[in-house]
Amino acid sequence: MQGRFYDGTDATAHTAQLRFEAGVLTIEADGGAHAWPVAELSVDIHAGEARVSRRRSDARVILSADDWSQLTAGQRQVRSHSAAGGGGLVLGLVAAAVVTALVVFVGVPLASGPLARATPLEYERRMGESYDLQISTVFPACQGEAGQHVLQGLGDRLAAQAQSPFPIQVRAVHAPMINAFALPGGHVLITDDLIAEAETPDEVAAVLAHEIAHVERRHVMQSVWRSLGAGMLLDLVVGGGSGAGQQAVLLAGQASELSFGRAAETESDEVGRSYLHAAGLSSRGMADFFERMEAEEVDAPQQVDEVSEWWMTHPNTALRIQAARAAERDGAAALSPQDWQTLQAACSAQGEDGRGPWEITIPGRRPGNDPMPAKPDEMSQDR
Amino acid sequence: MPQDSQDSGQSPRPEELGGPDQPPAAPSTAVPASDFRDGASAPGEGGPTDQTLTFSTTLRTRDFFKISLINGLLNIVTLTLYRFWGKTEVRRRVWRGVRLNDEAFEYTGRGKELFIGFVLASLLLGVPFLAFVFAVQFLDPAFASLLVPLYLFMFWLWGFGMFTAYRYMASRTTWRGIRFVLFGSAPTYGFMWMGMQIANGFTFGWIQPVFERLLAEQVWKNLRFGDRRFRWNQARSESVGLYGPFALGWLGSLGIFIVAIIAFVVLAASNGDFMGDLASQAQPETAPKAGPTPMEWQIIAAIYGVILLLLPLLALIWSPYQAAVLRSISAGVSLDDARFDLNAGALSLWWLTCTNILVLLLSLGLLMPLIQARTAKYLVRRLRATGAANLAEAHQAPPGPKTAEGLADAFGFSLI
Repeated sequence: MQGRFYDGTDATAHTAQLRFEAGVLTIEADGGAHAWPVAELSVDIHAGEARVSRRRSDARVILSADDWSQLTAGQRQVRSHSAAGGGGLVLGLVAAAVVTALVVFVGVPLASGPLARATPLEYERRMGESYDLQISTVFPACQGEAGQHVLQGLGDRLAAQAQSPFPIQVRAVHAPMINAFALPGGHVLITDDLIAEAETPDEVAAVLAHEIAHVERRHVMQSVWRSLGAGMLLDLVVGGGSGAGQQAVLLAGQASELSFGRAAETESDEVGRSYLHAAGLSSRGMADFFERMEAEEVDAPQQVDEVSEWWMTHPNTALRIQAARAAERDGAAALSPQDWQTLQAACSAQGEDGRGPWEITIPGRRPGNDPMPAKPDEMSQDR
Repeated sequence: MPQDSQDSGQSPRPEELGGPDQPPAAPSTAVPASDFRDGASAPGEGGPTDQTLTFSTTLRTRDFFKISLINGLLNIVTLTLYRFWGKTEVRRRVWRGVRLNDEAFEYTGRGKELFIGFVLASLLLGVPFLAFVFAVQFLDPAFASLLVPLYLFMFWLWGFGMFTAYRYMASRTTWRGIRFVLFGSAPTYGFMWMGMQIANGFTFGWIQPVFERLLAEQVWKNLRFGDRRFRWNQARSESVGLYGPFALGWLGSLGIFIVAIIAFVVLAASNGDFMGDLASQAQPETAPKAGPTPMEWQIIAAIYGVILLLLPLLALIWSPYQAAVLRSISAGVSLDDARFDLNAGALSLWWLTCTNILVLLLSLGLLMPLIQARTAKYLVRRLRATGAANLAEAHQAPPGPKTAEGLADAFGFSLI
């Protein structure tokens, strides 16, 4: 059988006589002979040609695919050349993927509690300042000083019932969503839309108590560790690539972050309620607010974005409403009618545009990976 | 038992071969024409072994469906860890579909090499980067002032990574058993890349055509097939003008931008509902729940529609430039007396770009291998060479890097 032989030292083509017997491919070219044992061979058949290579060699033999099948008929099978990797490789990679998933979905969440408690307060305080600076450029503080003062006063009354490691600093901000966030280091933000949506000050107080509970239990730092740990590991596996598959994996990582937030939410409801009771306030606002948010999701589709934003970050609705109803108690109103009016006016002051940039980011999810330059003038208002 | 020679092939060792070294003067006696469909040899010009170069392709786009699906599936079950092997297999199949003088190219890279390169790059870059992020978050936000040098470093790194990826791919590309090799300095390429970004910033992009050639020169003048050098000829490259098509693209983009803004303003001003809708979003308390507002969805649909229309339009006005860059660079390259000519037309390139984007969008990126195959096919079909090169004389190049210099893959910017 005839073929072309390239010896791997230069690009000259040699006519070669090929024999395949006793598990050895013999190549005779230019008076010399080369014996290639079948175990070291691989063949790539494409476009009517068979390209035979030997392990760790640059030499190649090329012959027609028909000749190759004739030559190897009845002989031991020659390995097909492929870079795709065998079953062993795939199994190994699947195992690595499973381990990664276990670490991300189980290991990191388990470790996040101890890690959060071990994080020095000073670190968390600095981190909180950094986050606060970044977020205030996106969600500027509401201008109504009097309203901010009322809100901080309510925060102080609730914080007095808590064992928070940080002073609680509450602020109403402009943001296109109904939500409230606790940042690291005791910063609590409540959006203008949430204040507008609340029908009584008790509802705002309930939300505020819930967020202060997050601070006291250091859930915020836990969440930071979870997203850092899980996010970094997934980023590492995925390699920061922009392919659709890679983005899907990163999204799954963020979804897991949501599910682990649920236990923390339930705990914060309970703890927050205990602050309300200890401060002598009514805790009926909590279930009232949850219920209305749930009803609105169904009734008012034009609000769907804002409301679903709330539920994305505060999941497990029905159970939480039930628990809130079961445990609620009467008490004093959180604010006098006059203070309530002042607070409601805090974000609707005349002459400001009232909205931050149209952001689709979900604050509190994976914040702070890109430190943004802050504008100090936007910060000065509530300090 | 026939004598076995050492086909180790790691370095040129002709004396160890079973046969005598091939005398350059008499290749045609050793190689019957019936066996080899070599390109017509041209004894009249240059040395006796000189050949004209004829490119052809056996690539069929449809052959890449199956591997696209398999790679996609394996990427899902391995959290994309399989991608190094999948990408390597795709490269292998694309390479073997490209032929020069009716001998196929071969890609000899391995998935493991890409994987190890990726791990190394992640450690070398990821750890310092994380240290930086932690320093900013926990220690002192003032560390953020390091961002400017860091951005510059990223530009440099991008160029550095691209050059090392080229070097790796060259070393894993063989033809007739002989490797390509890319000499030259990756750090230098990185600085040129960084320089391009900075200069583009100052010139609103107008320096770009100059850098296209500078960067191409860095690659092509340092590339060898075995020990045969490719050369770069600036004058021939400049015979294909770039500034005319560039001006068309630049001014055209500006025009589209201005028209789009005017259209948006006119639409917004003529449509009171639109503004009212924005206001009601801003202050829900003044606009109690009304029914659903179909306007919102119309606006979103309109925005996406405009983007989908604008993309092909932008591709169209830039396609003369993209085609000219391809022609200019290929015109600047030579190997011995062989010169190259890539006959890429603006319209055909525009069609290729648009259909590629469409396929990628509709398949959510899954059909990337198919895109690579049809792009390679497009290029090879338009590649011609005139003059002869002494290919048979090429001797083996030293082996390339042991692992892929994985920066490019770490950042996902090597599309091939």
